[in-house]
Amino acid sequence: MDRHGTWVVIAAYNEAAVIEQVVASVVQAGWHVVVVDDGSGDTTRDRARAGGATVLRHSINLGQGAALQTGVDYAIRRGARAIVTFDADGQHVPEDIPTIVDALADHDIALGSRFLGTVEGATQRRMVLLRAAVMMSNRLAGLKLTDAHCGMRGFRATAAPRLRITQDRMAHASELLKKVQSSGLTYTEVPITVRYTEHSKRKGQTGFQAIRILFDYFFRAS
Amino acid sequence: MIIRIVLLAALAAIGWFVFLKRNRLPFHIVIVFAMLFTGAFAVLFPEQTDIVANFVGVGRGVDLITYVIEVTVLFVLIHYYTKFVELQRQLTDVTRELAILRAEVERVAPPANADDKPR
Repeated sequence: MDRHGTWVVIAAYNEAAVIEQVVASVVQAGWHVVVVDDGSGDTTRDRARAGGATVLRHSINLGQGAALQTGVDYAIRRGARAIVTFDADGQHVPEDIPTIVDALADHDIALGSRFLGTVEGATQRRMVLLRAAVMMSNRLAGLKLTDAHCGMRGFRATAAPRLRITQDRMAHASELLKKVQSSGLTYTEVPITVRYTEHSKRKGQTGFQAIRILFDYFFRAS
Repeated sequence: MIIRIVLLAALAAIGWFVFLKRNRLPFHIVIVFAMLFTGAFAVLFPEQTDIVANFVGVGRGVDLITYVIEVTVLFVLIHYYTKFVELQRQLTDVTRELAILRAEVERVAPPANADDKPR
């Protein structure tokens, strides 16, 4: 997979503070970037554009899952052969994108794993919470993975129709893994670096929000 | 009794709302009116509901009405929740198409000035 055929999809909601820097780092590394501004109330769209991304805008806030799917649809429209999703809050590093793309030479899906790679700046409490999330998500999806709900993953465009996200909000991560398991597509995990900053921690999910995610997962499946 | 006047007035008000702005009587309107009249009947002759209740194996007419309401509320709740989820899905599809369409239009014909600020 070459750089030209790969599109990096970023879903952003009220990320004006960091989005320009995040987008610029990926664009400067030579990747196509599409940012889906999920109805932000701030200048996320202008900042992302300034960073060099193609920006799509949801007129209303739908949720991360919906925003990612919009980005994927657009990238495929533009002729993408591979899609890599990347978090808007700056927790991922562009140097990991080639690792994901290389893995797509042999697999349909490549899932980033911070536990195979490195985690910077996480508190003990967050690590415990993450480990619990890994166990929970493996139980739900019927997979044996070292990480769960890592925002950085890649898949071939040919796999996209079978990985369509219907969960608009945060349950999309569990939904995707379930589809990975049931689709019969080949997958692999690749080590990546996750850097928790003060900003990304503030934007991250809390333990309580897990209840909402589980509700969506079980009762909103369409 | 005051309660009878209140209940009858409420039923009459619902009937008036349902009939408002309509000059024909579709099937479901007929059903609504049938229910309203049944309700009015139960208000005027409460002891008559005991006969119906006894027939289906419930002690008091009031209890029967409570059970029927419970089932009805649950049905309505689930019905509207399903509708709500479906609407949400359609809203997502529309918003997505709009976002992609706008990006495609801007790609072919970039906006002359950047005055389309986000709201």
